[in-house]
Amino acid sequence: MEALSGWWDDYFWASIVVLKIFLTSLIFMVLFGLVGATAKLSNNVVANKLASIYTVVFRGTPEILVVLLLYFGSALALTTIAQVFDPSIRFIDIPPFWAGTFAISFIVGSYATETFRGAFLSVSQGNIEAARALGLTRFQTLLHVQIPEMWRVALPPFGNHMLSLVKDTSLISIIGLNETLYIAKQATSVTGKPFTMYIVVGAIYLGFSTVITLVVMLLEKYANQHLKVEK
Amino acid sequence: MTESISLISGSVFSMLSGIGVTFQLIFISAILGMILAVILLLMRISNKWYLNYLAQLYIYIFRGTPILVQLFIIYYGLPQFEFVRESFLWPVLRDGFGCAVVALFLNSAAYTTEILRGGVLSVDKGLVEAASALGLSKRQSFIHITAPIAIRLSLPAYSNEFISLLKSTALASTITVVDMTGIGRTIVSETFAPYEIYISLALIYIVLTFIIQKIFGSLESILSRYTKK
Repeated sequence: MEALSGWWDDYFWASIVVLKIFLTSLIFMVLFGLVGATAKLSNNVVANKLASIYTVVFRGTPEILVVLLLYFGSALALTTIAQVFDPSIRFIDIPPFWAGTFAISFIVGSYATETFRGAFLSVSQGNIEAARALGLTRFQTLLHVQIPEMWRVALPPFGNHMLSLVKDTSLISIIGLNETLYIAKQATSVTGKPFTMYIVVGAIYLGFSTVITLVVMLLEKYANQHLKVEK
Repeated sequence: MTESISLISGSVFSMLSGIGVTFQLIFISAILGMILAVILLLMRISNKWYLNYLAQLYIYIFRGTPILVQLFIIYYGLPQFEFVRESFLWPVLRDGFGCAVVALFLNSAAYTTEILRGGVLSVDKGLVEAASALGLSKRQSFIHITAPIAIRLSLPAYSNEFISLLKSTALASTITVVDMTGIGRTIVSETFAPYEIYISLALIYIVLTFIIQKIFGSLESILSRYTKK
């Protein structure tokens, strides 16, 4: 245990990095999921096809490959562009933080696309028609009828998506983000106590997952509170 | 352009030479994972609270942590202890492949248990009651009535788990296993052509995913042939 003293603050700041990635990619994940679901549900053939390709590609590719591709691929592209302006530049990359955030939001966004699509389809057509008949515009219908009804259905799988999001942040340490796993690697090379160091990382992630699970449970309770009255 | 085509065609074959390792990783860990999952399932649905509690704790820990962390704990972490290095398991835990199999099957078992439990819970209560009314013991009705139906019901979810197992095998490349991803990463570090290599590698995985989906799809239609209306 004494091997850990001196590393607590590193682990703390690394956990903050995990939290930051989680929150940033959560926003993008919801965004990609909503755009993907809209495209899949639209009548536009091109949008439909594009969304299908998106989900097939990102659900069929290992997460680590997406992370590597986005990081090294973007670095290569950026370096090529930069060398046009200044031939002396050898290598530039986009920060691992952003490459990683986009990678995991793309991946989990493809799962969220299917979730949101299913949830939107579960809203009964009659409710939408009733809302339109009452004179609500399409946007008002979406905001006041479709979204409140769909998020109740989408919540349990969405909780799982959040869990995979937080677990996927560990992959970003491979491209050099100073995330908990990266700290553990450094700490191991100094102290020679790999088990202790990696167990701490496991405990940190377990903490994150526990908090997310509890929050989703509370949200589900909140979303389904009207159902209790019926019993 | 011709350069990248020759690069792709050259590297695809060397990456495909790692497909054997990938398949070994999947099948060994799927089989071991299934065995452990059945044990955990029996614990989970048993009446003994401590067995149930233990299984739940196991699932909670393995589903709550990233598989990469589990991989690192097993590969880098365990050799810290003297007794691990002297135990009979050391030949397995010494090399990356063994560690990858252990991590993957322990992780997969946690997910598979919940899938199987979902299948068992969704078996119609009436069938189990009918079995006991016909004089079948609890064990007999589980083996002959509940299990076959539960297997069919949990197959779609299990196919997803199998696919995520396939994708997780790519992580083994981080602990020196030379599977398809490992070979791909080596080629990228030599040629620095991430687009060509990683995209063709991704395509290989997508094709594999597609094949697995098809196999499970036909398996499902075979198992549910008599439920069709």
